Amino acid sequence: MNKVTNLARKYRQAPWRTQRQWLGLVLLGVVMTAMVAGVYLNVAARGTLAGREVLDLNFEIAANKRTNANLQTKLAESSSAAAMQQHAQALGFTPASPEDIVYVVVPGYVPDPGFNLSTTTDQPPASIIMPEYRQTLFEWFFERIQSSSPAAGGQQ
Amino acid sequence: MKNDIFWRFRMVQVALILVGLAVIVQIVHIQNSPEAQLILEKGRTYVGSWQTIYPARGGIYDRQGHLLAGNQAVYEAGVDLATMKDANEIALAAQIYLKLDYTTVYAAITAPDPDVTYVVLDKFTAPENVLAFQGFQETLTGLSAKNLSAVYFQPHLIRSYPEKALASNVLGLITLDGGRRSFGIEEKYDSLLAGTAVKRWIPANPHDAQQVPEVPSSTTLILTLDREIQASMEEILDNAGQIYGAQSGSIIVADPRTGEILAMATTPRIDPNHYWDYDTALNSEAPYNRAISQAYEPGSVLKILTMAAALDKGVVQPGTIYNDVTGVIFVGGVPIHNWDNAAWGKQDMTGCLQHSLNVCLAWVATQLGKNDFYTYMQKFGLGHLTGIDLAGETTGRLKLPDDTDWYEVDLGTNAFGQGVSVTPIQMIMAASAIATNGQMPRPHVLQATVQAGRQHKIPIEIVGTPISSATAQTLNAMLVNSLENESSLALVPGYRLAGKTGTASIPTPDGYTSTRTNASFVGWGPVDDPKFIVYIWLEQPTTSIWGSETAAPVFKQVVQKLIVLMGIPPDQVRLSLSGH
Repeated sequence: MNKVTNLARKYRQAPWRTQRQWLGLVLLGVVMTAMVAGVYLNVAARGTLAGREVLDLNFEIAANKRTNANLQTKLAESSSAAAMQQHAQALGFTPASPEDIVYVVVPGYVPDPGFNLSTTTDQPPASIIMPEYRQTLFEWFFERIQSSSPAAGGQQ
Repeated sequence: MKNDIFWRFRMVQVALILVGLAVIVQIVHIQNSPEAQLILEKGRTYVGSWQTIYPARGGIYDRQGHLLAGNQAVYEAGVDLATMKDANEIALAAQIYLKLDYTTVYAAITAPDPDVTYVVLDKFTAPENVLAFQGFQETLTGLSAKNLSAVYFQPHLIRSYPEKALASNVLGLITLDGGRRSFGIEEKYDSLLAGTAVKRWIPANPHDAQQVPEVPSSTTLILTLDREIQASMEEILDNAGQIYGAQSGSIIVADPRTGEILAMATTPRIDPNHYWDYDTALNSEAPYNRAISQAYEPGSVLKILTMAAALDKGVVQPGTIYNDVTGVIFVGGVPIHNWDNAAWGKQDMTGCLQHSLNVCLAWVATQLGKNDFYTYMQKFGLGHLTGIDLAGETTGRLKLPDDTDWYEVDLGTNAFGQGVSVTPIQMIMAASAIATNGQMPRPHVLQATVQAGRQHKIPIEIVGTPISSATAQTLNAMLVNSLENESSLALVPGYRLAGKTGTASIPTPDGYTSTRTNASFVGWGPVDDPKFIVYIWLEQPTTSIWGSETAAPVFKQVVQKLIVLMGIPPDQVRLSLSGH
């Protein structure tokens, strides 16, 4: 019995050691919390900055749109029918009469298809994600082989 | 001793727990109290705000890509009363740089309505005025600079018409605050041009800053109008008004094959940038666009429809002879006379059109019969809206035999355009059927829409086929001959043109007692491959009452301009080139 008690006493932690362990654990908790808080603050601050930047860019877009609208209107005013007629007259031009017109055949002439404001095509937009993030290793490997092989019909 | 200390600690522990619990209970109590709801409600107003984002109003272009209606940035100028120090200084600066009235500004910012913390001085301050104000502000230091910083400028877009009065009757107008869209394209396509507004939450907390949601862009419109043709037609019309002393007038130029309106000029016109001139320029009775909104008795131009109906029905042929022995015909017991009260003897149908004989055409209508005559007139679209895509169209009036105010004589008078009212757009649509192969396209002003970068063309719509292709060809030949035989002032050397003049007495409450007339002309060309159809209406010309002396020469001017602007070679050249 005594032997067992002695053995237990031998293996019992010293009080200072236990205290130190607790202290260590608390400190670890504090450090962990501080780290999480730091990361959180950093991310939150960056998020906020990005948010403000987005807002600023939106304001900038709105301002650019207004500038665009102004410039378009000013351009249209400067090239209005009345203004152009005035410019032409100032340069010494006179309105053409039917007798002034000479008609000639121009081989291959393609008439103006008309005003078109389309800005989009039916082709899907090119991906903005870099190939590294969307290609499999096999695809990358295959592409490299293809790009390094000589083009078909190339010089011998 | 040890127990005593233990109990003391226990007591303190319990007391602290009780205090903690009390705090928690009180927190819960406060959070659920009615006052808390009020505070929360008030707090929400500081958390952020909802903002409605409107897309910029869609632009309007002519068929060549010239901007007819766009947008322009202006500023709302306002004063934050909480940060304002010296009202006098602000009012003075507003007068000098923002061109505002000192007294009005001073009164607005010194005696605002209760609970008002922000006063709007002007909603539409020009950018150059704002720059001048801000330039002055930068030169100041100290209190004055701080005081003027209470003035805020908020930019926004307003409608702008860079071509000023050009085509204003077609475009319509929009008031500065965007609240009232009136007439024309602006009214007809308002929902497309305005686009869809998007509501967005703007948090006050910068941490919550969110991306502005994508606002779908509004629709841009491309019209069938050609700016150069429109400008020329307006110039010709304005000159004609002066030369012939007409009260007002209209010229419509269209493509008879498609119904596309190339130009629609009317007088008077206003600059829609200054829409407040509306009441001065157009008295309250004048319509904004009389080409579609004012019906009138067209007179002899309507004879082409009567003749088309009779030819199509087969009751007359071009060679059918009418013997005008007395210069008068009785329809429903009422005598109908020629324009000169003379008898013209034996005339074929081309002669009847050439000399514009009322008696002959009244006879043709009686041969046709009232049922067929009015069926054809309705097929030509008389008495109905054409459906042109402009706001404010009127139907005119075509009395029908079933109407209580229709009399037998109406068949005779309607045959030469009296007792029936039409709009110029109705006449041009009806005449298109004769100009082409009998098909009548709906007149329209919108050629294409542009939405999200994609352009959609508006398809051509055929409203009906009132006459056969063969009838159209026969009548074309008759009208060409009648113009050439008459040596009309409408003729243009080198081009085969078809057309008809009209001189209509203006009805008064006592009948056709007035000496005033409406002069009209409808014509098209080149006859074998029509590229344009033109309708001219001069209201009450004073130099001559006759359409042949007023509207016909205007038609010539119009055609001379069109062949240059549209690049239409003389018939001989065109036919020789077509072999290549």
